[in-house]
Amino acid sequence: MNHVDIQPRIPEPELMYSGHLACPGCGASLAMRYALKALGKNTMVIIPACCWSIIAGPFPYSALDVPIYHTAFETAAAVASGMKAALDQLGKSDVTVMAWAGDGGTYDIGFQALSGAAERNEDFLYVCYDNEAYMNTGIQRSSSTPFGAWTTTTPENHTKERPKKDIVGILAAHRIPYLATVSVAYPEDFIRKFQKAKSIRGMKFIEILSPCPPGWKTADDQSIRISRLAVESRIFPLLEIEHGEKYTLNLEPEGISVRDYLEAQGRFKKLSEKDVEHIQKEVDRKWEALKKRIS
Amino acid sequence: MKKVMMGNHAVSYGARLSRVDVIAAYPITPQTQIVEELSELCADGKMDAKFIKVESEHSAMASCMGASAAGGRAFTATSSQGLALMHELLHFSSGGRLPIVMANVNRALGPGWNIWTEQTDSLAQRDTGWLQFYCENNQEVLDTVIMSYKIAEQLSLPVMLVLDAFILSHTYEIVDIPEQELIDSYLPPYKPEIKMDVDNPHAFGALVTPDHYFEIRYKLQETMDKAAEVARKAGEEYGELVGRPYDIVEPYMLDDADVVIVAAGTLVSNSRAVINEYREKGIKVGLLKLRMFRPFPTKRVRELLAGKKKIAVIDRNISFGATGIFYQELKAALYGHGNGAGSPNIFGFIIGLGGRDVTLEDIAEIVDYTLEKEKNEEDIIWMGLKR
Amino acid sequence: MSKKITFTSISDLPPLVVSLGTTEVNPTGSWRYLRPVYHDKTAPCIEGCPASEDIEQYMYWAARGDFDKAWEVLVEENPFPAVCGRVCYHPCESSCNRDHFDQSLGINSIERFIGDHGLDFSLDKFKLAGEREQKIAIAGAGPAGLAAAYHLRRLGYQVVVYEKEEKPGGILQYGIPRYRLPKDILAAEISRLERFGVEIKTGVQIGKDISWEEFLQHDAVFLAIGVHKSRKLNVPGEDLDGVLAGLDFLSRINKGENIQLGKKVAVIGGGNTAMDAVRTALRLGSTPAIYYRRTRAEMPAILDEIEEAEREGIPMEFLVTPVELIGENGALKAMKLQKMKLGEPDESGRRRPVPVEGSEYVVEVDNVITAIGEQGDFTSIPEKLVEWGVVKSDAFGQTEQRPVFAGGDIIEQPHTVVHAIGSGKKAAMAIHTYLNGGDIAPLTDKIRVGDKGGYSFLRFRDGHEGDPIDNREVVTFEHINTSYFTRKDRHEVPELDVGARITSFEEVKGTIDREAAMDEALRCFNCGVCNMCDNCLVFCPDVAIKRRDDRFRYEIDYAYCKGCGICVIECPRSALSLIPEGK
Ligand SMILES: Cc1cc2nc3c(=O)[nH]c(=O)nc-3n(C[C@H](O)[C@H](O)[C@H](O)COP(=O)(O)OP(=O)(O)OC[C@H]3O[C@@H](n4cnc5c(N)ncnc54)[C@H](O)[C@@H]3O)c2cc1C
Ligand SMILES: Cc1ncc(C[n+]2csc(CCOP(=O)(O)OP(=O)(O)O)c2C)c(N)n1
Ligand code: SF4
Ligand code: SF4
Ligand code: SF4
Ligand code: SF4
Ligand SMILES: [Mg+2]
Repeated sequence: MNHVDIQPRIPEPELMYSGHLACPGCGASLAMRYALKALGKNTMVIIPACCWSIIAGPFPYSALDVPIYHTAFETAAAVASGMKAALDQLGKSDVTVMAWAGDGGTYDIGFQALSGAAERNEDFLYVCYDNEAYMNTGIQRSSSTPFGAWTTTTPENHTKERPKKDIVGILAAHRIPYLATVSVAYPEDFIRKFQKAKSIRGMKFIEILSPCPPGWKTADDQSIRISRLAVESRIFPLLEIEHGEKYTLNLEPEGISVRDYLEAQGRFKKLSEKDVEHIQKEVDRKWEALKKRIS
Repeated sequence: MKKVMMGNHAVSYGARLSRVDVIAAYPITPQTQIVEELSELCADGKMDAKFIKVESEHSAMASCMGASAAGGRAFTATSSQGLALMHELLHFSSGGRLPIVMANVNRALGPGWNIWTEQTDSLAQRDTGWLQFYCENNQEVLDTVIMSYKIAEQLSLPVMLVLDAFILSHTYEIVDIPEQELIDSYLPPYKPEIKMDVDNPHAFGALVTPDHYFEIRYKLQETMDKAAEVARKAGEEYGELVGRPYDIVEPYMLDDADVVIVAAGTLVSNSRAVINEYREKGIKVGLLKLRMFRPFPTKRVRELLAGKKKIAVIDRNISFGATGIFYQELKAALYGHGNGAGSPNIFGFIIGLGGRDVTLEDIAEIVDYTLEKEKNEEDIIWMGLKR
Repeated sequence: MSKKITFTSISDLPPLVVSLGTTEVNPTGSWRYLRPVYHDKTAPCIEGCPASEDIEQYMYWAARGDFDKAWEVLVEENPFPAVCGRVCYHPCESSCNRDHFDQSLGINSIERFIGDHGLDFSLDKFKLAGEREQKIAIAGAGPAGLAAAYHLRRLGYQVVVYEKEEKPGGILQYGIPRYRLPKDILAAEISRLERFGVEIKTGVQIGKDISWEEFLQHDAVFLAIGVHKSRKLNVPGEDLDGVLAGLDFLSRINKGENIQLGKKVAVIGGGNTAMDAVRTALRLGSTPAIYYRRTRAEMPAILDEIEEAEREGIPMEFLVTPVELIGENGALKAMKLQKMKLGEPDESGRRRPVPVEGSEYVVEVDNVITAIGEQGDFTSIPEKLVEWGVVKSDAFGQTEQRPVFAGGDIIEQPHTVVHAIGSGKKAAMAIHTYLNGGDIAPLTDKIRVGDKGGYSFLRFRDGHEGDPIDNREVVTFEHINTSYFTRKDRHEVPELDVGARITSFEEVKGTIDREAAMDEALRCFNCGVCNMCDNCLVFCPDVAIKRRDDRFRYEIDYAYCKGCGICVIECPRSALSLIPEGK
């Protein structure tokens, strides 16, 4: 069969190398691949302690075709602030600086530096690939771990009691120019938002729901499916917020039951019927609130 | 141009003359005027630098790391609690071979809250891979900021310069501000061989297995070994250009001295005054000023103190459960390399913790004690302790 | 793969932790225990199509608006797309996976659009070989005979088709009425074959104008003479004036004869002939009705035809059978009917109608048209070839006597146009292998399309060695990742108003327009065959999938693929498989 001219769906150049050390099916590795496709070569990446410190390869190798600065766990936003400042001083304002942190480095230990940078409206892109626990250290809970999830520090008979921290709401409250959520199951949306973020001056924050097969107790091949279910069940709405005020919902799913999402993951195995109902109610409530913000 | 200014402003002017690109700092007494002056200089356009008003010292150092990694000249200043908060990143910045310069105003650590001078904060960071310089007066402070960049950038290692809280930080002295062109000829723009560069991408600071970590640490130490000579030359060159030479250690009336005081920071000035008095009385007391603490100037110390009988080390600091830190370091430098027999007696004095005044009388007492005692009986000789 | 970096001495080491190479030094493929492979499979529609049209493939082209290409793909297997687009009962659609999602794809309507699009295209590009000496004779220019002629001609043979009637086409010409299959459409597709070098000699009957022995003089012969003899009712009064045999009636109309029917016309039967006869009678101005001995559900006619007849207002009486035709002065006047009920299933699986005692009644009629089936007339061929009313043959039309091959309605297979076409194609392949001293049997596994008896000429043509496609693996709905499709109703086919229909023989159904054809083709899942949607390429977390240099499809770099299986799961159409590593 001959074929029609192929129009690539997403930019073709690859700025991530094979041979990186992510687990099979890792959402975080795919996320980086998309992000760099969107941002291009004129990008610097700052990685605090997290799975990505490993994924990116041990000395003397790198998994990325852009510069990486590996830094301490809590410092991504501060390092990015300084790096951007220096680049501005050196006449290289066109370089995109991207801080790339896990949920631990974002919601928890790096939260102060992030909030500081957001308040100062530093001109860089902060990305949280959120796998909802400290995976690098062996699946401990973070403040991003959702209600009812198993981790090694919220064990089977005592799964997490508190809901996930609302990082998007918190960042919106900083009124930063651009804030978005993206999913690896929606590559076009993902890439468009990174490209948009690149074009905006000031602080940008992008939250990626990032499936982790060993941490979420899922089969390696389920990462995209689960990401999609998260969006379709409205657990993870795809949205953009400009200046903390202008909300845009990028996709309005019909709204399948949260059960489909939860049942696909071993970490939610112990949820009771009541728990599931509770989660559904919370998701519905938040969705309504979101819809109100939009209209 | 001469100007009367407090030590903190001398820091700021030193940074300005060094044409730093990025300043990231967080206020803490007694360092605040450094930050205030710099932010004013930046705001007024008198200084072409970005001032990042970070939300913590930890972030201050992190921002400096980011700036430096991208090839910018980065500066910060802190003190005490702030320095302690930075600790993790002191390792990170030296390991990352980033020539950041930081001024630390020596202040005691809490609790209870104490904002007055003490050396423990900076000395506690001795193992982090930073070079450390202790200053005696405001002029030295300004000059040392500039020299620090000269040294740091040659070695790819960060440098901390230290000044005493209030005694220097808030005390006005006449300071000569060198011409900018002069400093420009001394300190060329920072051009690192390797840095964050989109046209030549590298990953910095990745995971290193035991296979290589050891050797890379060795390399850092190797650089430290060269640092003393680099620092000496930098001070010499500065002297040739500006007319004020500096060395890493500075002897005063040392050659014929029977008792040698070893001190750093403003304690040196006090000691000098006391030595002058004793010399007038014909008593041979000398002084060794430690300007550089890291790397420890072991070789020079050994040379200069060879054959001395008695040495009095004045520590305004303490390593709990051990002794004064300069005392330890001096002993370590002088002993254990096969010359034990002819080595001097070393007396370790701890004095003025938490900013308690160190008077000329106190120093005289130290000298007298040392003269009087045949040999050292205690590891810590507490001076001025209200028993 | 980037070079592994080794430091021979400490002086080689950089002073700081900085990368000097890429992670491509890590052959992460060694982590893999499952291996993804590109693995095209068979779409169920193709399996369902007795002519094994590569439906999935022409949908690919149609969806992209390249109807030239779509036509080429289609004609690779079937030279009569415009005909089939009108008269095929489209078993493909009832096999379509999309049926489980919303509605099956409108394959037949797209096929028709494509057929019309290429109506005056030349077949020359389908010629596969230079001229061969061997001569092959075919008896019967119906769809089976003509399909065989086409494929044999492609293979370079000298083909002559003998047709006893004046015009070629068989039932397409003389059975199916114009309002379903306009004669110019049929003529266009047949004349295209003639331009391609197929010689059709009409008015020549094998066994009469040419003897069987003479016929056998060819290097091979293909028998496709169809079944045309109307079955008798076997009731009193069958010879009365006004009683007509269905196929004969249709044939006369198709030949342009002007037949005067009375007002009340009873059509007996439930098959295609019955439907065509009753609707033709309607168009001739009568008030016809259907009388069928079972129920609507058992009617063998194409469902579409039954529905059209109903739409045209034709009454249907079920569970009745004529027991006597009553005449007056030799002319038909009335018909005595007996009511029936359904009993045990017969060998066809349908419940056998059994008479209800004492339920007879009489209706007045002006004409009766019998349409209860056709039988073969095998008087012109050797008896030994025939058994139980059919010519004995295998799936490829090979009879026990070489070089005699047979196909279409005379062999044991469903009586449909597309089965006839499929059998012509299969026989052509068998004849070719036979003439080259080979045997088709060993090839069958390589050229089969699923398990329903279809075989691909394309695979036959391309050679079948090392074909990566497992032709038997048919993609089921469970293998479709429906996340990538949105529900959408199929496009309706334009139809003539009922009012306009009954006054003329104008074609009832129309051809969908170009936009609709593209849009409808876009609904296709493209089951089992990579359509380069890029999903696998996009979703691989290990950058292990690369577009091939010619930009056609992809390659998996097994040095790095960790075998996560995402590409396999996220392929919307199951064009990848995961197999255990090391197999
Ligand atoms: C009224 C009617 C409507 C139908 N409608 C449909 C439909 O809508 N869809 C569908 O799929 N199927 C339909 N069918 C069935 C379909 O038409 C047949 O299955 C198909 O035409 C069989 O093709 P064939 O080539 O085997 O035979 P035919 O089409 O019957 O062709 C055989 C040809 O051989 C010729 N011939 C016969 N004897 C000799 C001889 N001795 N020498 C030379 N030539 C000879 C005949 O004249 C005829 O032209 C219909 C059938 C009928 C009767
Ligand atoms: C100051 C500090 N505390 C703890 C650690 C240990 N540590 C390294 S990564 C990590 C968890 C990272 O979690 P997250 O940011 O969610 O990233 P993930 O590993 O899940 O990708 C922890 C606790 C550290 N490196 N530094
Ligand atoms: S533990 Fe999870 S996040 Fe970390 S590399 Fe593995 S899959 Fe990715
Ligand atoms: S969706 Fe397309 S390929 Fe699949 S069965 Fe239907 S027509 Fe065939
Ligand atoms: S995912 Fe798309 S591109 Fe990949 S094999 Fe399947 S159809 Fe082809
Ligand atoms: S998605 Fe990539 S890594 Fe995973 S199985 Fe497919 S080719 Fe291999
Ligand atoms: Mg995490």
